[in-house]
Amino acid sequence: MGARVLVIEDSVLITSALQILLESHGYDVRVSRTVADATRAISDFPPHVVLVDLTLPDGDGLAVLKAFPETQPRPKILVMTGQDDAATRARCADAGCDGVLIKPVPINDLIEVMASVIA
Amino acid sequence: MGDGSIPVRDMTREDDERIWRMEAELAHAQRLVGDLRDRDALKTQFLSNIAHDLRTPLTAIITHAEILRDGILGKVNGRQRESINTIITGGRQLLDMIAEILLYAKGSGEPLMLTESEFFFADIVDQVCQLNESLVAKKELILDRRVPPNLPSISGDKDKIMHVLLNLLGNALEFTPPGGSVWIEAQLVTGHEPSTSLLVEVGDTGRGIAPDHHELIFREFAQVDASTSRAHHGTGLGLTIARRFVELHGGRIWVESDLGKGSRFFFTIPLRRTEA
Repeated sequence: MGARVLVIEDSVLITSALQILLESHGYDVRVSRTVADATRAISDFPPHVVLVDLTLPDGDGLAVLKAFPETQPRPKILVMTGQDDAATRARCADAGCDGVLIKPVPINDLIEVMASVIA
Repeated sequence: MGDGSIPVRDMTREDDERIWRMEAELAHAQRLVGDLRDRDALKTQFLSNIAHDLRTPLTAIITHAEILRDGILGKVNGRQRESINTIITGGRQLLDMIAEILLYAKGSGEPLMLTESEFFFADIVDQVCQLNESLVAKKELILDRRVPPNLPSISGDKDKIMHVLLNLLGNALEFTPPGGSVWIEAQLVTGHEPSTSLLVEVGDTGRGIAPDHHELIFREFAQVDASTSRAHHGTGLGLTIARRFVELHGGRIWVESDLGKGSRFFFTIPLRRTEA
């Protein structure tokens, strides 16, 4: 399998599409629906890339960043959000995210960004 | 009483009753205002929730349609691809409308804030023209940008000013028949405004707007053609939001137009301004 991608998004409609797309491009995909679920998943599925929605049922998607052990290299963090504004971009940049993708992300753009952050 | 003092008399029972009645009326009016405010807040929250909830399934529909279009789940023929592309285009149009409703709801709920930065207006014009390139080509329109190269940088909320320009250009492109002209012009002006301002014009050779509709089009939910069979669809919020964003910068927005004579929309952004 290819690089491990943790998708953190509560809508099954969206994750089903992302799973089909990413797996067809050779990625090993795991889906979490909440911050708590993602925090648990990280230990047995250390991801290379995290695709995270900002609004999750149990809180802010950026809270997931705190779950990564400082001793290990941190995965690339790509935020997926419907909020296309400077304040959101600045908040994600301050938190150390590697990119902000505005939903719906055209699938070709997503695959391109994934390849560039992994390279 | 020749000394100018005001005569004082004891309160009568009628006076007491009058004051009591007025106090009761005041309390009733205050309750009514409070009730209306609560209902308005509820309406705003409802708009915001419904817009957010509509966006998620739409995002999924568009992404799944793109997966089908690109043949990830199997080969598609030309006609199938054309049909899928229509789903994607329709979905994106709906998303734009939902984004507009969300913006409107956000602005109605709490005071909008400006996220200020220093930028060149010409860069925004370039981006907006680029975003509309394919529509300009499809309708065989002429899009002319008249921005002087020595225009200084301006300070403002780049996203919001770009939104205004995108909205005005989008309308101009939509309402101008194939073969027509659309232009964006920018210049510095002094005089009527409190300081030097950037004056932007977005003009077109489209069907124009009757003078008695010039105020109406900036009102929320208003559309010149309100019939259900109207040719152009939208939320009727685009120009309301544009006006809100311009006024937030201390500027103003207006239109000069007449039926059959095209339209010229103008807005100003003061270069140095006091808080709006």
